[in-house]
Amino acid sequence: MTESASGGFVASLRVVGHVAVHVFKESVRDRILYNLVIFAVLLIAGSYLMGQITAGQDVKIIKDLGLAATSLFGLFIAVFLGIGLVSKEVQRRSIYSLLAKPVTRPQFVLGKYAGLVLTLAVNVAVMIAAHYSVLGVMSWLESPEFRAGWEAPATDPAMLKAFFLIFVQLMLITAVALFFSTVSSAALAAALTIGLYIVGHFNADLRNFETVVDSPAAAALARGFYYVLPNLAPFDVKTAVVHAQPVPWGYIALTTAYGVAYVAALLLASIVVFSRRDFK
Amino acid sequence: MPTEKAPSARVSPPLGGLGLALAIAVLLGGALAAQTARDNRYAAWETESELLYVQSGAALTRLGLAFDDLLADLYWIRAVQHYGSTKIADEADRTYDLLYPFLDLATTLDPRFKIAYRFGAIFLTEAYPDGPGRPEQAIALLEKGVEAMPERWQYLMDIGFIHYWWVHDYEAAAEWFRTASEVDGAPWWLEPLAATTLAQGGQRGGSRLLWQQLFETSDNEWLQAEAGRRLLQLDALDALDQLGLAAQAYRDRTGDWPRTWAQLIDIGLVPFEPLDPTGTGYILVPGTGEFELSSDSLLFPLPSEPEALPDPAS
Amino acid sequence: MPAIRTEALTKEFPVGFWRKRVHRALDQLTLSVEPGEVFGFLGPNGAGKTTTLKLLLQLIFPTSGVAEILGRPAGSVDVRHRIGYLPETPYFYDNLTAEELLLYFAKLFGYAPADRRRRVDRLLDEVGIGSERRQMLRRFSKGMLQRVGVAQALVNDPEVVFLDEPMSGLDPIGRRQIRELILDLRRQGRTVFFSSHILADAESICSQAGVLVAGRLVSVGRLDEILAVERGWELVVADLSEVAQRAIGSRARRITQIALGRHALEVAPTESDQFVRDCIESGAHVVALNPLHATLEDFFLRAVQDERGNEGASSDDSRATEPPPTS
Repeated sequence: MTESASGGFVASLRVVGHVAVHVFKESVRDRILYNLVIFAVLLIAGSYLMGQITAGQDVKIIKDLGLAATSLFGLFIAVFLGIGLVSKEVQRRSIYSLLAKPVTRPQFVLGKYAGLVLTLAVNVAVMIAAHYSVLGVMSWLESPEFRAGWEAPATDPAMLKAFFLIFVQLMLITAVALFFSTVSSAALAAALTIGLYIVGHFNADLRNFETVVDSPAAAALARGFYYVLPNLAPFDVKTAVVHAQPVPWGYIALTTAYGVAYVAALLLASIVVFSRRDFK
Repeated sequence: MPTEKAPSARVSPPLGGLGLALAIAVLLGGALAAQTARDNRYAAWETESELLYVQSGAALTRLGLAFDDLLADLYWIRAVQHYGSTKIADEADRTYDLLYPFLDLATTLDPRFKIAYRFGAIFLTEAYPDGPGRPEQAIALLEKGVEAMPERWQYLMDIGFIHYWWVHDYEAAAEWFRTASEVDGAPWWLEPLAATTLAQGGQRGGSRLLWQQLFETSDNEWLQAEAGRRLLQLDALDALDQLGLAAQAYRDRTGDWPRTWAQLIDIGLVPFEPLDPTGTGYILVPGTGEFELSSDSLLFPLPSEPEALPDPAS
Repeated sequence: MPAIRTEALTKEFPVGFWRKRVHRALDQLTLSVEPGEVFGFLGPNGAGKTTTLKLLLQLIFPTSGVAEILGRPAGSVDVRHRIGYLPETPYFYDNLTAEELLLYFAKLFGYAPADRRRRVDRLLDEVGIGSERRQMLRRFSKGMLQRVGVAQALVNDPEVVFLDEPMSGLDPIGRRQIRELILDLRRQGRTVFFSSHILADAESICSQAGVLVAGRLVSVGRLDEILAVERGWELVVADLSEVAQRAIGSRARRITQIALGRHALEVAPTESDQFVRDCIESGAHVVALNPLHATLEDFFLRAVQDERGNEGASSDDSRATEPPPTS
């Protein structure tokens, strides 16, 4: 009658699923998250007003703003919820009663991650809906002649590509946040994750560090960092999409593959650390 | 993924730990492979242009807070990267549009960013496809440098040089050279250079003098290399002039323009098929008496000269 | 087969800035708890009781030694199907209701939906949480959280229940409820392992007790055996001469002056007659002769004193060479 968590891959997945659903419930009711999402939606809606002020550039600005807001708020959600996943749970010691249940540590880590990705997906979906709604209204209000002057239609489905890559990037950042929260305190993990986010955007420049630095050792080090640290800038195709430049599917596929592989590595590392950890 | 823990041992005994480390390394390797494949097949998106929302360097300085220098470095790296990647790109619609903004931002954030000024001076003026061909942008950049560092006579000289070589305004060039010569510590040859420019402006000899000075006094590798290249281009122009004369002589003797090198060699006007200073052969345009630099040559394209070449047909 | 068994279970934590020194939080713990027992794991704060519990639940990993529950290694997942755990000052999830929490845990055990529902409803009734069960745990008082904690520990009908300081922070009513709960569990045939530093509560419910001081198990024994030991007699005499104080008092276990001209002598049970005679012969008057029963407190205090004495005599770092004899 009872499933055993100690046997069967399917049973194991089910446990991961329960943890994930629980994380989702917890997150969705989190007041901070709630406020962030509302704020983001308001911002997107408010961008419509902003668009009225800047002559002629309104569609572009709304698109830019919507994509940027989704990216930024997604970052906040990923960092603060991601840190809370492990650090907060360990600090508050709710983890004690959970780990006394038939949940292995790897299942715990994976379940946490899956739950947060689910939360992110829902949030991003909400923001996408807001984004397209505002643009749809805008498009409907403008005259056809005006619309013809736009580089891309207001409700251009190509923007979904940008949203998709933003989502993959958020998955990666969440995995980073999760990893750091298994190895250090909440505050430190948050700082490290945000730091890595910033560095990740300038990662490509590390490769060319030798043009500003004299020491070849430093340049070699920078190049090493370029390869190891997550490279986040390529996930950002906002400019291309807003200017109606094509984003090839191959590009999306390879970038996603990069993200997924990196996430897997981080999850594995998190599992390794977490499985050995003493909960004092 | 259940784990049975031995009573007194931790999860994952050492060998398992090694396996996991290996798995992590493999996954990271896979990620890198995907990234490399993507970078090779697709050009990077110029995401930098978003950063240029902050077009005003002054605003950026305020935003940059304590990280001005770092940001300046960053923009410098981007400038170089942008120039390099645009230069080797195939696509015809690649432009050097961002070169000036990057250099401008870098020098606004760090007004003493000497190398950025020099780089801009050279490469902003280069004609397409070696550069955007915007001497006025270079001049604007250099004027900023002069304002920040009035003791740098090199920038004044560079401005003069641009007026001379690209804008073909010899009076302005000579004026700038003269101003440069008045700066404390300026080299002795700037004043005579001003005079020569007025007298011989547009002539190859004057240009050669200018580039020679740059070549000898440059404190910078690629500046020197550039000057060296220019000098070779001038040599090539000289050689082409000589060849033009030879073709004319051939015509005088035979009544036709030469069609092949062999004709010129047989008649003794040219000892052998000539090579340009970088070792690539010149091209004889059959039946016209004209000679060209091969497009394969490293010196291609030759600079446009202020006055027309002596017409071989005359 | 013992329900809980440890053998030379040791835990060291690296301390210091460079993590070079070690602090031995638990030293060679060997004990055995039979099924159906209520084992009181006692000791002062910082003795290592919680460390022991966490080792048994594999929340932390032993440095050396063996820990087994129901014959299986302590950390194995199948064992966790059969145990329950109430942590000290439990904290769960702010944004779930009590019901949702228990349902979540029930899901982890793999119960079918109808079964889950039944269990959760029953448990919440048993611990006395009524309509509050649909409120967020964020709003729960300490006492209510404790009750939720008990409920979640019993979701799976565990054979062995671990309770870490179950009565800490509760008012006397709450304490009584927990005490009755433990007795109920015992009646149901479950094994209970609980830690406490409140001796009075432990006294009334445990069948066996172990005393942990500075990471070492200093005493372990059946409580009724300990309590059955008559400590002796207290002989209260008046006008005991100084000579007699020295002569007779030195033979007694203890002599105390309780008032001017009055002394109390603690004597072994078999010696009471002799002492009465000696005192009378010396010219004192017998005021009272009272029996003394051992309480857990005495046991505990004596063990602590013994241990502190041992510690003073041994080397300065916290390593012990051999486990002390159990009394």
